[in-house]
Amino acid sequence: MQQGDGSEAQVTWEDQQNINRFGRLNNRFHELEDEIKLAKESNESLEDASNELILSDEDVVRFQIGEVFAHMPREEVEIRLEKMKEDASKDLERLEEEKESVLAQMAELKKILYGKFKDSINLEED
Amino acid sequence: MAAASASSSSPSPSSPQGVAERRGIPAASFVEDVETYLKQSGLDVNSSLAFLQERLQQYKIVEMKLLAQQRDLQAKIPDIEKCLDIVATLQAKKGSGEALIADFEVSEGIYSRARIEDADSVCLWLGANVMLEYSCEEADALLKKNLENAKASLEVLVADLQFLRDQVTITQVTIARVYNWDVHQRRTKQATKET
Repeated sequence: MQQGDGSEAQVTWEDQQNINRFGRLNNRFHELEDEIKLAKESNESLEDASNELILSDEDVVRFQIGEVFAHMPREEVEIRLEKMKEDASKDLERLEEEKESVLAQMAELKKILYGKFKDSINLEED
Repeated sequence: MAAASASSSSPSPSSPQGVAERRGIPAASFVEDVETYLKQSGLDVNSSLAFLQERLQQYKIVEMKLLAQQRDLQAKIPDIEKCLDIVATLQAKKGSGEALIADFEVSEGIYSRARIEDADSVCLWLGANVMLEYSCEEADALLKKNLENAKASLEVLVADLQFLRDQVTITQVTIARVYNWDVHQRRTKQATKET
């Protein structure tokens, strides 16, 4: 993370804490990217399932609960699916918001740290 | 193992470093001034760097272990939630007088149909080749408790990992500072020699 050119800026405990915070935020950012990818896939799958349900004309649908496929009346499946879609969509929104917040905090810290250390510190992804 | 308080993000002014260890993980001490640090430890630059590198390796090993535990817990939680879903479905069907018909996997690619009527009890797999029969209500309570415990453990684990990563960062920064200080010393010596 730091380059060894022997320059002078002293690292205070506050600087160290800022660096630590940046590290934590960066980790969280990558975790969020992975979680968002999964959430998007989940949303898509639910959308596909919903469309399949509309197209099919069966009255009894096999709905997966855990490891088994339970036979359920179509209306119940529709209700369940709607709820799942709503939950998934809220999840995705929450994750995207957290990601924005994390990026904003990281940008703030970059300003502070680059301001003090300039070239002696590297906060970019390699 | 004594658990130090988990306040690693806002240390009090009197102890600038916060906690000395967390659940067995030693904290990396922050170096205020490199020269003073080297004098106090009595080590020369290379030994100091070697010591810090070794500390870094130890931290990495603990990190691997914690990450594995985290993966396990993250897999366990959706499983428990699925079980709760099934128990809830069985309980809902109980009142209606209808049987629950479900297709389940007998072997890879082969499914069979089951008819579950008036489910009063379920069997829960407790691990260690033990399966116990519970009433639906008991099963629901047990699964909910397990879910809570798993989520709580995960929270603690995540906090442990954050603490650990902070210590890794502090150690990396210290290594860079000791190295830079050394480079600076050599340059100044070189400059005085040449004048």
